[in-house]
Amino acid sequence: MAERLVRRSGLIFPINNPRFLEKAWTRGCDFLVLDLEDSVPPQQKAYARSLVKTAIPVAAKGGAEVWVRINHDMVEEDLGAAVWPGLRRVNYPKTETAEEIRFVDSIISRLEKERGIAPGYIEIGANIETALGVSNAHEIAAASPRINDFGGGAGYDMSRDLGVEMFVGFEQFMYGKGELELAGMVKEMDIHAAIFIPDVSGSVSDADYTFKIAEASRKLGFYIGGGLHPNVVEPQNRGHTPTAEEVSEARRVMELYKTLEAEGRAWAELEGRVIDRYEARRAKALLEFAEACAERTVGRRSR
Amino acid sequence: MPDVMVVDLVELTPDAQRGRARQQALRAIGHASVHSEVFAMAHKSRLREELGAVAWPGLSGVVLSRVESAEEVAACDEALGRLEDERGLAPKSLGVVASLETALGNHKAMEIVKASPRVWGVTLGRADLEMDLRPEPSGELHLLPYFMERLIIIARAAGVVPLGAWWRSTARGLRAGAEDTYEASLRGKALGFKGAFCVEGHQVEPVNRGFSHG
Repeated sequence: MAERLVRRSGLIFPINNPRFLEKAWTRGCDFLVLDLEDSVPPQQKAYARSLVKTAIPVAAKGGAEVWVRINHDMVEEDLGAAVWPGLRRVNYPKTETAEEIRFVDSIISRLEKERGIAPGYIEIGANIETALGVSNAHEIAAASPRINDFGGGAGYDMSRDLGVEMFVGFEQFMYGKGELELAGMVKEMDIHAAIFIPDVSGSVSDADYTFKIAEASRKLGFYIGGGLHPNVVEPQNRGHTPTAEEVSEARRVMELYKTLEAEGRAWAELEGRVIDRYEARRAKALLEFAEACAERTVGRRSR
Repeated sequence: MPDVMVVDLVELTPDAQRGRARQQALRAIGHASVHSEVFAMAHKSRLREELGAVAWPGLSGVVLSRVESAEEVAACDEALGRLEDERGLAPKSLGVVASLETALGNHKAMEIVKASPRVWGVTLGRADLEMDLRPEPSGELHLLPYFMERLIIIARAAGVVPLGAWWRSTARGLRAGAEDTYEASLRGKALGFKGAFCVEGHQVEPVNRGFSHG
């Protein structure tokens, strides 16, 4: 089985602000995203690019994975500046077609070769933020083996593309979310799910709301985080980590299921719950993720 | 009394008992067909054994579990045709309900339902479990409204019958009481489903009541 990735929390920040970089690695994130896109004004793009290579080891100091978000229309310049040893992933914003992803993939492949990075190591995050991207979801998901997770379809750029308000208090992006998650599930990818909890404030620094979303995601089996404000890190780490109670519950489910299998039964009840192969699969996945989280924490302390 | 009884060789039959279940299928079909129509649930990967065990007089068709491609439907179509021929059943008399429980099956829903004129209905089966769609804080199973509407649109577009009803609350189907079942049926009917599967006897009456209203 592929290594279970632990990406409970992440922060994206403009790379041209040294204050953010100096602080970012101390925040306890599983990943940090150096932004070359929306948070960097056009006149600073070239300067921002010149900073990436030295920023990567700084961002990695706390044990976080380091990602870069490039600009949709500056693929070659941005990748040339970003693809260096230490980089784990490139996020490609406003992905709309499979061709775009194949282009990004081809440049990364060339740079990996030139710069001594294991071929295929660098992931692509295909950020789908427009109606056209949703329409091409299945082709995009299949466009590169570098894509390991998929989803989204509910965010600022999507609402801008559709010309609608966000934070309306009801589930407004059901179709787009469904199309994207289905495309990811077909390719057996990790799902970057958008869970609906009414949010009318739109605050990006609300720790309580962040925790509610993270906890709800965990209960659905989704563990990928990410945000803009340092306040989200702790609630995402906490909300996306299986609790001790869930771990011991999962162990009980696995034990009971082993007994069922030995007795040739399909299901049984445990305190009013149905226990069957589906519950056993959930329990197994939870235990694996909990173990990966624990290893991640140990890895951090040793630094 | 249900309109249709489904003889299950897949879901609630543990692997170790499949052989015995197949041996008992003929007798079960005989009993059930006195009271209602009878379908049998068969798995796409065990067509030969399972269709062979159930394709006898009294059977109306099969629920094809975990189907993921037009080719799999074609293989089922062919196997049923052969059995109809060998056993003196009317040609093309056995129908198919495609049970789309996986992501791939749902992705390919349109080509699956159009793969054979035998396909009479389509359902999500245990898609919520197979795809692991768990409840959001709203009580809604994650993405299930999307999957239900998608299936209904495709079914109607292709001229087949959409079947099913899913619980909005956290109750798993095996545990759903009469009230949950009734609500799910009303909702299923309002969305466009034409009937639903039950897993417990006490769910039949509320499903009939829910789908009969108005």
